Amino acid sequence: MKVEPENCVKGVKHTVEEDEPMKLRLNKTVAAVASSALLLMAVPAVGLASTSGATTKPTYVIGYQGPLSGGNQQLGLNMVFAVQLAINQANATHKLPYNLKLVQYDDQGSPTLAPAQAQAAVANKKLIALVGPAFSGATRASEVYYRPAHIATVSPSATAAALATGINKNNFMRVVAGDDVQGAADANYLVKTKGKTKLYVINDASFYGSGLASVVAASAKTDGASVTTNTDPETSSCGGTASASQYTAQATQVVSSGATALFYGGYYCDFGLLLGALSSAGYTGTIMSGDGSWSTSLVAGTTPPTAANNVYLSEAGGGNSNLTGKLAVQYKALSHFSANNATYAAQSYDATNIILKALSKVYKKGISVAKLRSGLVTQLHKTTYKGVTGTISFQSNGDLSAKSIVDFGQIQSGTITSVGHS
Amino acid sequence: MSGFLHYFTSHFSTLRLEFWNLLVGGFANGFIYAMVAIGYTLVYGVLRLINFAHSEIFMTGGFAAYFVMKVFVPTTSTPSGMNSVLLIALGVVVGGVVGAVMATVVERVAYRPLRRRNAPKLAYLISAIGASYFIYNMAGKEFGRYNTAMPQPYINHPVFTIFGAPVEMYYIIIFVVGVLMLVILDRLVATTKLGRSIRAVAQDAETASLMGVNIDRTIAVTFILGGIMGGAAGFLFALNFGVANTMGFTPALKAFTAAVLGGIGNLRGAVLGGILLGLVESFSVAFLPGEYVDVTAFAVLVLVLLIRPTGILGERLGRSA
Repeated sequence: MKVEPENCVKGVKHTVEEDEPMKLRLNKTVAAVASSALLLMAVPAVGLASTSGATTKPTYVIGYQGPLSGGNQQLGLNMVFAVQLAINQANATHKLPYNLKLVQYDDQGSPTLAPAQAQAAVANKKLIALVGPAFSGATRASEVYYRPAHIATVSPSATAAALATGINKNNFMRVVAGDDVQGAADANYLVKTKGKTKLYVINDASFYGSGLASVVAASAKTDGASVTTNTDPETSSCGGTASASQYTAQATQVVSSGATALFYGGYYCDFGLLLGALSSAGYTGTIMSGDGSWSTSLVAGTTPPTAANNVYLSEAGGGNSNLTGKLAVQYKALSHFSANNATYAAQSYDATNIILKALSKVYKKGISVAKLRSGLVTQLHKTTYKGVTGTISFQSNGDLSAKSIVDFGQIQSGTITSVGHS
Repeated sequence: MSGFLHYFTSHFSTLRLEFWNLLVGGFANGFIYAMVAIGYTLVYGVLRLINFAHSEIFMTGGFAAYFVMKVFVPTTSTPSGMNSVLLIALGVVVGGVVGAVMATVVERVAYRPLRRRNAPKLAYLISAIGASYFIYNMAGKEFGRYNTAMPQPYINHPVFTIFGAPVEMYYIIIFVVGVLMLVILDRLVATTKLGRSIRAVAQDAETASLMGVNIDRTIAVTFILGGIMGGAAGFLFALNFGVANTMGFTPALKAFTAAVLGGIGNLRGAVLGGILLGLVESFSVAFLPGEYVDVTAFAVLVLVLLIRPTGILGERLGRSA
């Protein structure tokens, strides 16, 4: 029997097989409807397969791990539809000697929930590689399981510098630059481009946020600015445990510190709360945050939404970070939201495709999944792929070989407008 | 340690400049804590139990007001003047009423059946936690598990300054609504017949019932009063932070701390505890990294309880229903 989780992403065929650990709460009615729907769909599919005579094709799973529910789900949704798009396109060629299937592992972006999802992915006997994990803290908590299983994980978004430090032939690779690149560019933008010399740098105590914020603080000091730092842990409104009321105190402190610019290292949900408090406290300085906040959901989650206006955002994407043209149309057909500003959709598309390119080299008839897994790690380090975000190849530590560009955006009347790049 | 001392002294000079700023922000948080803490302390007074579902009453009030604001606040322009006053009053009323309804439901479903069967206090605790999980997950399923902005019924701007510290409109709204509701509640409990019956049940439920106080009715009213305060506080909180299904969890835990700090069971103690906690948190940000806000709050709680085990205004513990 196949069942469909209740909070499964609309439009993405997501099936959990019975032998997998049950990850998500199930709604019995939905499950019943979904399973009967799948049965109906299975009939023509079998018909097609038998006429083409390709019934012996093996099915391999490409996993996706990231936040598909919870306060920061929008970033995960942006990614998973792009992964699905790449897989659909590969399957649609009908030339591959195997079928590909996406299985989602929803870790809510949380380091505490991630290990269970990673273990489930490792235990999936058809899973050969994974796009993700999406968030840096979750990635660190997950790699403990992926590394010994020799599973290649290609992340579209986990940017913490430490993830690629001191590891050779890293099974973790990423198609974005690390936060060392992004943080330095952000500090330069605030201090040199915008001429702000008194900075207040806040982080959310997450592995990603604190890493990025510390790079920004250090680089800003090098650039000659005076820097005050503070930490506001993620709140219960956004899946953490701190109280959102901490931002009231924080905002009054920022105002009275006289800082002319504020940088926030963290994710959009809590950043939105901070923006609301800053607005209530009457802060008028320049505000900037990194890729974790680059989402139009930031505006939707900020009270009042106008408090997000003029906020600067950065993203270590490089070049053209959006899916455009025909890809954008196909993406929207799957996701039902626009590919514009769908942060990390393009990177996810590229991450999936470089895995698929490597797979086409490694695959031999009858090869075991274990061989495919380790073979992919080796092959990915040799693969060069020209994707929508640029030409992708990896250094031994998993970082991109190419020098990365950091894009800057600004929220203007509710949407993110590009304002240049590093 | 010397690093810490340096941090402390270097921050002390800035603290003097920031004192009034932090005071204003601390009071704003403090009033919200106080309003939620009242709910804990009222229920504790009559039932000697901690209503752990109170966080969800706070959340429900916030969501109810959010849906009303979504209907009444125009998307094209932010209301101002008299319209703002009316909308905020509407938000407070809706938050309060729906909070009261939710509190009543919790009382009827999670507590009354247990009380009828003379269940041990531990059973109440479990059913409260159960109710809390049920309600916030239900809200997550129905309204989405992410933070949503509250449509703004007013324009935020500095209204006046205290010793150079600007006081923003948002803080004034909290002060006005908070003080008004807390004073009305205090008078209600201190002077009316209803208040007398609440105090009687809190003092000695058995004797109160012998004197003709309807215990069931008094308990129901107590939950309603706590619900009104909690729901309205949910709206005030959401005005600045928006709504999320888990929004109540930590603020309510803090308010519970405030209630214990002030002396659980004592109304004015809850208000005092709430404001004190708000101020402690606000000033701790000036001294310590933000992640120590919660540590400071609970350290203060432990210190106070070491010196006064019943809380600042706590009284001897009596019997109850």
